[in-house]
Amino acid sequence: MTGRFFSIEEFSVYDGPGIRTTVFLKGCPLRCTWCHNPEGQSSAFEAVRSPNGCISCKSCERYAKHSDGRLIYTEQSINACPVGLLRVCGEDIEADGLCRRLLKNARILKNGGGVTFSGGEPLLQSEFVFECLSLLRGELHTALQTCGYCSPDVFSRALSLCDYFLFDLKLIDSDGHKRYTGVPNERILENFRALAKSGVSFSTRMPLIPTVTDTEHNLRAAAELLKECGIDYIELLPYNRMAGGKYAMLGRRYSPEFDEAVPCQAREDIFESFGIKTKIL
Amino acid sequence: MTQLIKELLTQLKENRHKQYRSEQIEKPIAYPLDLFGFNFGTPFKAHWSVGNVTVSFPAALAKGFLAIREEIVNSMKRAQTEEQLSFGQQMLDTVDEYIGGVEDQKNNARALGNTRLCDALERVPLYPATNFFEACTFVRAMMYFLRRSGATHLGLGRFDQYMYPYYIADKARGVSDAELFETLEAFFISLNHDTDLYRGIMRGDNGQSLVLGGFDKDGKSLYNELSEACVRASLELELIDPKINLRVGKNTPIEIYELATELTKKGLGFPQYCNDDVVVPGLIKLGYDPEDAYEYVVAACWEFIIPYCSGDVPNRATLNFPLAVNRAITQRLRECGSFEELLEYAKEEISADCQRNIREQWGAYEKGVSTVALSLFTDGCIASLRDMWRGGTKYNNFGSHGAGIASAADALAAVKKLVFDEGSLSADELLEALEKDFAGAEELRKRLLACPKMGNNDDFVDSVACELMKHFGDVLNLQPNGLEGGIWRAGTGSALEYLKSAKLCPATADGRHAGAPYGTNFSPSLEAKPSGILSVIQSFSKFDMTNVINGGPLTLEIHDTVLRNDVGIKKTAALVKAFIDLGGHQLQLNSINRERLLDAWEHPEKYPHLIVRVWGWSGYWNELDRQYQEHIVKRVEFLN
Repeated sequence: MTGRFFSIEEFSVYDGPGIRTTVFLKGCPLRCTWCHNPEGQSSAFEAVRSPNGCISCKSCERYAKHSDGRLIYTEQSINACPVGLLRVCGEDIEADGLCRRLLKNARILKNGGGVTFSGGEPLLQSEFVFECLSLLRGELHTALQTCGYCSPDVFSRALSLCDYFLFDLKLIDSDGHKRYTGVPNERILENFRALAKSGVSFSTRMPLIPTVTDTEHNLRAAAELLKECGIDYIELLPYNRMAGGKYAMLGRRYSPEFDEAVPCQAREDIFESFGIKTKIL
Repeated sequence: MTQLIKELLTQLKENRHKQYRSEQIEKPIAYPLDLFGFNFGTPFKAHWSVGNVTVSFPAALAKGFLAIREEIVNSMKRAQTEEQLSFGQQMLDTVDEYIGGVEDQKNNARALGNTRLCDALERVPLYPATNFFEACTFVRAMMYFLRRSGATHLGLGRFDQYMYPYYIADKARGVSDAELFETLEAFFISLNHDTDLYRGIMRGDNGQSLVLGGFDKDGKSLYNELSEACVRASLELELIDPKINLRVGKNTPIEIYELATELTKKGLGFPQYCNDDVVVPGLIKLGYDPEDAYEYVVAACWEFIIPYCSGDVPNRATLNFPLAVNRAITQRLRECGSFEELLEYAKEEISADCQRNIREQWGAYEKGVSTVALSLFTDGCIASLRDMWRGGTKYNNFGSHGAGIASAADALAAVKKLVFDEGSLSADELLEALEKDFAGAEELRKRLLACPKMGNNDDFVDSVACELMKHFGDVLNLQPNGLEGGIWRAGTGSALEYLKSAKLCPATADGRHAGAPYGTNFSPSLEAKPSGILSVIQSFSKFDMTNVINGGPLTLEIHDTVLRNDVGIKKTAALVKAFIDLGGHQLQLNSINRERLLDAWEHPEKYPHLIVRVWGWSGYWNELDRQYQEHIVKRVEFLN
């Protein structure tokens, strides 16, 4: 079957064990206000425009549509740009075609590394991902980087097909989760508990978003959850102020609902007090 | 870092931006604290063509200049021809000049109050070195005298091997590791002085390469504690000299790669890796004695040469791959019924260019004032009383670069796809567009650019490249060069030919404009947008590199944020190991540096394919908002 991705990155260093290639799939059920891969949010094809080299001829705007204060470039916009700054973001590919492409680098990836499906949210295209995972079984080590927002059935199938999970926890309080990501977190926590019980290898990750996820309250709640699940390790990803870099390319404005200038708090001590080791990536 | 090293670094940093040539400094910069400070007085009489060798440091260190003089005198007694007598006399005059020069340097050191150097010069280089400090002084003295005689691009060879006896002897005598490390660092710092004194050479391109580690014929690793000390000293000093090269192989432990990757992280452009498992068999196939092949070093940049007993000239000629292929396409495409036919014509053109190089360089030998000086320290020249480039030493081989392999293979692949497979492009249309450098044919150029390119692990285009490269090796390797016993060796380097030869080449069928540069050395073309570093590594490790072993690395750049913590260091080290284990011959891995980013900042149009790591994602430089570019420039400034 066909899936849609927006990038395939070779030698992605922070997406699982060893030397890996990461497939970034398009489409995500969450709208995290700090998202640094905005082109991964929509499942639809989008035109992106490089900011540099523009000769300000406005040819692209002539063919663009306006929606919610956002400029949406069209196919005509892409063709109209005389300096080729616009391109389509998103590409459809058959599962076996993608796997063939990934397997071409198997000689390097087999040695302790593998392939990671990320996004977007890879499980939004679960059938496609499951087909890929089945095709790669026995050939390459596989990993899923997921927000965990999917039905328990989908998640349990993922657990049966994938070798490794990178599970992103954000906010433990469901109301807060809804406010900053657009969805509540009950399913996410349920799936997280299922992962912890499954015996499948994984690592837990949490983005440290200033005043949002890095609060003592949230970190303590996360530590309690980890302890309850018998997990003794978490990776913390400090917020980077360049998160908004790609929004302009999509004709969008980056307006996070928190103050970017506040440095994030990597309160490793909170986790340590629960006997949980941390690593800052 | 000791107080002395800090002071030496401060002294260097305060002065090294000055240039004797351009800033009207009346005298070369003086470094009074330099432990190995030789007073150069005037610029070197640099002669571009004479150098690129590694002289016999081990033999000289063990003998001393006076014993070398004695050897010349004795050898002259056995001279059979006037020519030999005359050459012996020239060597004698040269060594006498050096012996006299030692006294001058001693006085200079005394005047500066540099008693350690002064004391060392009482013994070396006239007598054999007896400890590590003296050995360092000896090496520095040899470099000094040879440069004064006009030699350039002198490699330092297997420093960790020939200096090791002095290093461990000192340790056995109770000299502390810290003291030895300080001496090593002071020596390294001194190699960064005087780099403004070359004429006609870009600063920094001085050939001061160290080659560390490697394996002997029994497979035993020769990476010792001095090898590691050299890497650690370079890590701590962060200076451009000496350039570190690591000889590795399939049995090199990952820890060595990890320490080396720490050095890559510094953004200095080294270490460069050379694969013993490929280079040694390749050199043996070219006729080098195995015991010499196991001693291989890089000459100045990446040319594989035998040290101590060779007058090999690895930069003698260049095969301009795209130009040869382009001739086949422009002159023969119309008459070709199949791609295979075209490929045969391309190979014929490669053969013709190799033959022309052989003819033009037939019997050419190096000449210049430094030939006598270099022969003085090259095995065999004193015994034979002959110039190292006229049969005085063991090897007199020529090397040829092979520039632009990726552009050449890409051009053929595009023709195969559009003209032969799809039939969507006629020979006439293509040739007309090439002739006009794509003027009015921008659409066609886009189609050509979209064809398969090397660096994407595309089996077809890579196989074309392999076939061209193999043909180059088959045609050129072992052909006589007109010197006694001398042969030719094919290689994958380009040196500056990725610009110079590229200027001579009209528009090519890969979509490259006339005169546009090729990829550096053994790398994807600038027209290619490789799908990633793993694909590049795979594309460039499909070759039988033992067949083209004159040297020339795959050059890769990674953003230094990949290396920001131990996760990135370990994975990058594993990546280098993967390349070596796949049979890659030579690798230059760069953590992207500040100067380049600043240039990209000013001239984004020059860097269409520059990839930067922003943090969790990679992007093309030109696709980043200006403020993000600014941020990266600042951050890199901070890192450097």
